Amino acid sequence: MAMRVAHWWLTVPLRLRSLFSRRRVEREMDEEIRFHIEQKTEEGIAAGLAPDAARAAALRAFGGVAQQQEAIRDTRGLNWLTDFVADVRYAIRGLRRAGGLTVFVVLALALGIGLTAAAFSMLDSVVFRPYPVPQPERVLTLMSASRDNPFDSFSYREFRDIAAAARSFSGVAAATGLVTVGYAPDARTLPRVRGAMLVSGDYFRVLGVEPRIGRSFRPDEDQIPDRTPVVVLGRDFWKHEFAADPGVVGRTIRLNGREFTVVGVAPERFPGMNVFSNPDLYAPLAMANVLMPRPTGDFFEDRDDRRLVLRARLAPGAPVAAAKSEMAVIARGFERDHPESGGGRRAAAYTQVELRTRADDINWKFGVVFTVLALAVVLVACTNVAGLLLSRARARTREMAVRLALGAGRSRVIRMMLTESLVLALLGGAAGVGVGFVGIELLRTFSLPTELPSAVPFRMDVRVLGACLVLAVSSAFVFGLAPALQSLRTDIVSGLKEGEVGETGRRRMWGRNALVVAQVAISLTLVTVSFLMARSFAALVTENAAVPKDQLLMARFNPALVRYDLDRAQRFYAQLIERLAATPGVTGAALTRNPPLGLGNYDRIALIPDGFDLPPDRDHLTVPSDVVDEGYFATLGIAIRRGRGFRAADDTTAPRVAVVNEAFAARYWPGREAVGRLIHFERRGGEVVEVVGVAADVHREGLRKGTPFLYLPYAQRPASGMIVMVKTAGPPLEMTDALRGVVRGLDPDLPVSELRTYADLYRFALVDGPAIAIRLTGIMGGVALMLAIAGLYGLVAYNVSRRTREIGIRMAIGATPRDILELVTGQGLRLVAIGTVIGLALSLAVERLMKAALFQDAGVDPVAYLVVVPALAAVTLLAAWLPARRAARIAPTEALRCE
Amino acid sequence: MSKPTDLVQGTLDLLILKILALQPLHGWAISRRLKTLSNDVLQVSEGSLYPALHKLEQEGWITAEWKTTENNRRAKFYSLTRHGRRQLESETASWITLSAAITQVVRLSEG
Repeated sequence: MAMRVAHWWLTVPLRLRSLFSRRRVEREMDEEIRFHIEQKTEEGIAAGLAPDAARAAALRAFGGVAQQQEAIRDTRGLNWLTDFVADVRYAIRGLRRAGGLTVFVVLALALGIGLTAAAFSMLDSVVFRPYPVPQPERVLTLMSASRDNPFDSFSYREFRDIAAAARSFSGVAAATGLVTVGYAPDARTLPRVRGAMLVSGDYFRVLGVEPRIGRSFRPDEDQIPDRTPVVVLGRDFWKHEFAADPGVVGRTIRLNGREFTVVGVAPERFPGMNVFSNPDLYAPLAMANVLMPRPTGDFFEDRDDRRLVLRARLAPGAPVAAAKSEMAVIARGFERDHPESGGGRRAAAYTQVELRTRADDINWKFGVVFTVLALAVVLVACTNVAGLLLSRARARTREMAVRLALGAGRSRVIRMMLTESLVLALLGGAAGVGVGFVGIELLRTFSLPTELPSAVPFRMDVRVLGACLVLAVSSAFVFGLAPALQSLRTDIVSGLKEGEVGETGRRRMWGRNALVVAQVAISLTLVTVSFLMARSFAALVTENAAVPKDQLLMARFNPALVRYDLDRAQRFYAQLIERLAATPGVTGAALTRNPPLGLGNYDRIALIPDGFDLPPDRDHLTVPSDVVDEGYFATLGIAIRRGRGFRAADDTTAPRVAVVNEAFAARYWPGREAVGRLIHFERRGGEVVEVVGVAADVHREGLRKGTPFLYLPYAQRPASGMIVMVKTAGPPLEMTDALRGVVRGLDPDLPVSELRTYADLYRFALVDGPAIAIRLTGIMGGVALMLAIAGLYGLVAYNVSRRTREIGIRMAIGATPRDILELVTGQGLRLVAIGTVIGLALSLAVERLMKAALFQDAGVDPVAYLVVVPALAAVTLLAAWLPARRAARIAPTEALRCE
Repeated sequence: MSKPTDLVQGTLDLLILKILALQPLHGWAISRRLKTLSNDVLQVSEGSLYPALHKLEQEGWITAEWKTTENNRRAKFYSLTRHGRRQLESETASWITLSAAITQVVRLSEG
């Protein structure tokens, strides 16, 4: 027997040959047996028997030709196929006859499977879809970690050290995030903002990606800073900007005012390593000073200038675990050799799935939440279908009894029933793919309001189709097993008798009751969750009402793109704000690094608030911050609660100052006056700033509610890349030309990017994204509820029809219609009650999980329950009451005659 | 299902393999050979030989070929494959072990 498995590669082709040359096999089998019988007959004749008698004896000795043929077919595995084909044909005929049932079942499954397809496409694209490189499972991502930021980047020096030290990898490459660069095809054209990724020279080699045309970087092109301006174009950028011109290699383009030579184009199947963004261009890290200009510091030397994420390919045979422990060792070495970088710094290697399911990433959490909710809808659909098929199986008791009586094996009957379920499920799955397409289109309406290359990765692909197929087949088993097993219990004798089988068994009804309870519970949970989600998002919107979103225009500038130094940039901004403020129709203008709800990140500053006792294990705190000018608080409508905002006088000649938010003041100086207190930067004895004001809390994207926040004055901390916020008297879009005019007057070469109304950003952050989420869960809840109502209605109606005779007797001996109504509704009521209690418990559990994961909020929202639970109870009770009322109206004479 | 109930399951397979190890034969000849070699002790219903042959063929242990017999009749000749030979060896070995063990048990003198 052990041999069987071992040589499957030999037997599988043999078996397939038997299947596909069925007719030949049959013919040969007949001929072989005929030969045997003839030989035997001749032997008999030779022994003196009459020809007829000899033939009869030969057949007798053979032991039944038909049986042996059947046995041979079994060994050749032919029956399995012919049975299956017959079952499928039979199932299709049967389902066509029961058209209403088929349509309902297919529709229910299609909705469930389609919703899951949409949700899974999201989860797949943000977590599971492998890196678009050869052997993606061998590529790990290396990230640094500090006490405050578990997913920190590496500095250039650290990257060099790791690349030199790591033995578990065949190559370690580094890449920055997307960097905004000013791109122009030639010197005459105005530069536009594009997204570039700076990579180490071996980036493409380590990933195993060969350019489609041209070549990737040579190692020598990434060795000496500023020496070799070369660039590899991204796939989409090449198509859109160069119309997929293969002659592009060798051409020069201008980036940040410098000429770069195109050496290659990334291949079609390599859109980039990130999920939501595909770089327009790749350039060597050695060009960092041109493409990522920084006013101070040296990217190539500063160990704390952390802007690199490392991608490493495991050496042949090296296990992931070894790479991980090696990274830990290397990180300890860093801590020892460079204590100035702060203690507690670690480094870790992540596999793709580990990286994409990071604790601080929200996309995969939404993916998981949606997929689980969608699977719950599938479950409701399956229980519903199971209930329907159970009723149908009961109606087919006689058919099953006949089959069994005629000698069908029980396993054969189960196979037939499961085939029927499979046909139903596959029809549902096919329709579900259609529903999934619509769902994914809904998801794709989501787009980032940025000019950087962003990609919506959700799509219906082979992986999602495969998931649909798996889901359809497994749901066939979920809803097909109960009716199939029920058919097994058929009692042949009573089944063959005419009329209703005396089926008093509570046991049998128990299964259907459980199905209805499950439906009520799950649909209650789904509706509650979608309601909760809607309310949580609504709460976010109210929190943000602190910032009046209307009549605000915003635009991003980065004068470093046209090679301004910091002084010149500062002068530019001063003039820009001045001229804007003087423009008619403008009521205010301000500078910020990243407005509330903005898509950028907030600089985290290491600091110690004076008079605050640090926890024993740390020597500083890190607090997110923004650099703003004196017009900021007034322009954005953020109230100053105590003290003052910034003034033009808070410049480099004046004492250093800061403004904190209310949460900062309450956390670090509870019950005490914040204004006038000092904050030490970095460590005690470091630079000191004085708090001059406390501003109202404003919700900021990516930060928890009540996070301490620090504002610093632009005049004391100038930066190159800033966002200008313009408050307008009228509709903000009418001022865009005026703003462009002002900029052109200052420097015609300076690109203006992300020029839009603040309301656009607001809509993206708080309306569009949430609307998709709310709509999706709302649809799921609605579908589940509809299915639950149908299930309950079906069950009660079925019971009424089954108990018509009993009801007739009860009425004949004096029961009033009211008694009957109570009798029948009572059962539905009990089921709804049990389902509601279970659903309530489930909802509370899901609420905690969901809020903790998605909204950083722990509270219970009683309003949602107060609305959803009674509404759901009322609707489901109606579903039970309608058939019950019909039962109560039955005339006893009719009921008694009904059989 | 028609299984050679008189035989320990799997024994028929072993016998067929052994017979075919000597020379390629058609079904009829195998059934004759079975009868004579075992001195008519083994009572196999003749027909049940064929499912067994087809099973062995599906396993890849024997292979079939249509040839003409000495009487100029077309018949399906079975012959042992390389895998079949290996299977025969392992089954023979385990049969010898098993039968030796059983012989020892049944020969235990009672009392």
